[in-house]
Amino acid sequence: MRKLASTRLTLLGMALFGAAVLLTYRDQEASPWWMAVPLALLAANLFAAVATDPRINRRGGLLVFHLALLALILLAGVGRLTHFSGRVEITEGSLFQPVGVETLRKGAWHPDRFDQVKFAQGPFTVQYQPGLKRAHTRSQVFILDGAGGQTPMVVGDQMALVLAGYRFYTTSNKGFAPLLTWMPDAGVPVSGAIHMPSYPFLEWNQFTDWATPDGEKVQLHLDVERPSDNEAAWTLDPKNIPATLVVKSAGGNAVLHPGETVRLAHGVLRFDELRGWMGYQIFFDPTLPWLFWIALVGVAGLAHHAWRKFARERG
Amino acid sequence: MSMFAELPWIWLGVAAYAAATLLAVFGAARGQRRERTVAALLLVGVTLFAVAIGVRWERVGHGPFISMFEILASNLFSLGLVFGVAYWRLPVVRPSAVVVLPVLLLLGAWIVAVKPVDSFLPPSFETPVLWFHLVLGKLFLGTCLVGVGVGGVILLRRTRCAAWFAGMPDDGTLDMLAWRVMLVSLIFESLMLVAGAVWAQDAWGRYWAWDPLETWAFMTWLTLAFSMHARIGYRIPPWGGALMIWLVFVLAFLTFLGVPFLSAAPHKGVV
Repeated sequence: MRKLASTRLTLLGMALFGAAVLLTYRDQEASPWWMAVPLALLAANLFAAVATDPRINRRGGLLVFHLALLALILLAGVGRLTHFSGRVEITEGSLFQPVGVETLRKGAWHPDRFDQVKFAQGPFTVQYQPGLKRAHTRSQVFILDGAGGQTPMVVGDQMALVLAGYRFYTTSNKGFAPLLTWMPDAGVPVSGAIHMPSYPFLEWNQFTDWATPDGEKVQLHLDVERPSDNEAAWTLDPKNIPATLVVKSAGGNAVLHPGETVRLAHGVLRFDELRGWMGYQIFFDPTLPWLFWIALVGVAGLAHHAWRKFARERG
Repeated sequence: MSMFAELPWIWLGVAAYAAATLLAVFGAARGQRRERTVAALLLVGVTLFAVAIGVRWERVGHGPFISMFEILASNLFSLGLVFGVAYWRLPVVRPSAVVVLPVLLLLGAWIVAVKPVDSFLPPSFETPVLWFHLVLGKLFLGTCLVGVGVGGVILLRRTRCAAWFAGMPDDGTLDMLAWRVMLVSLIFESLMLVAGAVWAQDAWGRYWAWDPLETWAFMTWLTLAFSMHARIGYRIPPWGGALMIWLVFVLAFLTFLGVPFLSAAPHKGVV
């Protein structure tokens, strides 16, 4: 146990961990084991030192600091195993659908609770300062209680929507979603929204390919009218921005304003209205509050140790 | 009001620091300790940088958080202030002005060469947590600079300048003092990292992502912790300890003033 508690082993563990940090910095896709192994070594060393080294366990503040470090390592491990990170795009006026979530990373112990997340996307605005610099994002959402009730909330910037432990953050990824209705020659009309590429990031590329339910391929191009001068401040407000939808089909091009239709091979396509879609980043980590408070307690322990040390020397 | 109304105040502040530096260095070389004058010039310099920051704040509408000019101005203010407080409260560190003031003067020369163009404050910076993070960071770098000053005296004693510090305690005592200061520095850095993680969670939806700033801030913390354990594990002479303090400071300095401006995206999602 005393060998495991050695300060020299601490130095080795720190050096290995530092190297692993730099490796991960250079290659974000590096195996997590590069980090996990030195951390496990440091955790074992720390545990042994706390248990056997009187320089630590007989000094209250230093003991608290080192126990907090140990707890942080363990919590970071639990956090990795239970965390979730992903993203989702939600059309204005529609409900959050778990099936639309794209998973980026997910811990092996992640408790899938997306079925408890119920909210609807309302309108949003994004302010831009001269130079096309993104300023404030205001995204209206409606939290649904499952019994027909809803609570409005505005999220964006520093404010996340937190439901069932999942934190939804607005992102720079957002755009227009033309609402279309397809009225087939035979059958019932179907409505749906098409997500155009991110705006204004891909302002030059507001094109998307789409196929009608009958299989006819068309290209959609959204022509948005916004101030051409990037040096002027403006607000992206998808619902209130003038735009036309150009439908390119085998039969030619049709320029549609909201409410207008175009005849295609097997039916009629109507451009109902222009909406927006907001891209959210999703984060889940149940250890967050624990990490925060334990880190603070640990630093308080270190401060207490320093205070006692200096007071003793002054005395 | 001129386009860059803060500039005259910056120049005057740099001039005050330059005068304090010259007085401290030549005073030490001649065996004359003009501590009151050095302290007064330091105070004048700190005040002038505070005025410069205030004038710019009024002009651009936000604090000194974004551009290189703003970061340099805020560090000239905060480092001068922290060292000034140490100079006032800890008479033993006063001769280390010979080491510390040239560092401040270096920053002063740097800011004179930087154009004070206006900057844009992203919404992610509009949070009270930012203040905790920045103030703790300034306290960390400031206390680290005090440690660097004491460590620098230990190192200078191995040169022809040894006589300048004849009146100071022996190396062993200075070494102990320097590491006491670095312990305080570690406390501020740890709190800075905690506040930074809280800010990052709110601003970018993750508390830690090993982005350039996070990585190098953590490497600085790790290097400091490593150095402290190395002192316990091995009998490191005072000059070795002083070198380790300088290494920590160089890492911290590059993290504060290098990484944000060398990396296209110091914090992921910041733009």
